[in-house]
Amino acid sequence: MITALMIAIVVLGGSGGDVFITRGMKQIGEISTVHPRRLAGIAIRVITNKHFLTGIFFMACSFFAFLAVLSWADLSFVLPATSLSFVITTLGAKFILKEEISRVRLAGTLLVCLGVALISLP
Amino acid sequence: MKTALTLIVAITSQALGNVYLTKAMKAITSTDSGTNDFVSTAMHTASNPMVWLGTALLLVFFLLYSAALSWADLSFVLPATAFGYVLNVAAGHYFLNEAVSPARWAGSAVITMGVILVSRSSARTIKDEGELLK
Repeated sequence: MITALMIAIVVLGGSGGDVFITRGMKQIGEISTVHPRRLAGIAIRVITNKHFLTGIFFMACSFFAFLAVLSWADLSFVLPATSLSFVITTLGAKFILKEEISRVRLAGTLLVCLGVALISLP
Repeated sequence: MKTALTLIVAITSQALGNVYLTKAMKAITSTDSGTNDFVSTAMHTASNPMVWLGTALLLVFFLLYSAALSWADLSFVLPATAFGYVLNVAAGHYFLNEAVSPARWAGSAVITMGVILVSRSSARTIKDEGELLK
C-alpha cells in the first residue's frame, strides 16, 4: 500500500513537474537567441518564474519519493511502473496545457510507454 | 528543425552524461571497495573530474529540454526525448560493455517506433497562449 502511494508520488510529481515547467517556459516565451547576455537575462526570468520553481519542487518530491521507494522495493518493479508517467503527463498536457493530442501522437506515446516498461524489466 | 536539433543535442548530452557518471562511480566504488567510509567515498566522488563532466552534461540536457518547452508542446517533447533511453542502452552496450537482454533491445525498438510516430505530429499545437500567460 505504501509502495503504491510512493509510486503515485513519483509519477504524479514527475508529471506535475513537467506541466508546471512547461507552463513557466511558455510564459517566458520562445527562446530564439544565442546571444550570451540575452540568454543570461532569460535565465534570470526563468529561475524567478513561479510556475518553473513549482515544477522543480514537484520534480524534487518525485525524485526523493523514488529514492525512498527504492530503499525497500525492487528497481525492476519501480522503473516499469514509472513509465506510466508518459501517459499521465500527456493527459496533463491535454487538459491543463490545452495541447492537441492527435491519434498519431497518442499512438506514439503509448508505444514509448510500452517500450520504456520493456527496457526497465530485469 | 530547431526543435529536432535542440532535442538531438539534449539527448546526446544526457546519454554521454550517464556514461561518464557510470564510469566514474564504478571506478570510485572499485577503488573504495572494502571500505565502508561514506565520507571518503563522498570526497572521492566530489573530486572526480568525470563526475563533474557527467553532471555538467546532464545540466546541458535539462537546459535544452526547458528551452524546447518554451516553444514546443510538452506532449511532443517528452515522448521525443524518450529516444534517450535507446541511446542509453546503446551507449551502455558499446562504451560500458554491459550485457543487453533481448527484452531491452525489443523495448528500444518499440520506443524508436513510438518516437517516429510522435515526430510525425506537429511540434506545437497551442496557438493562443492567453490563458497560460495569466
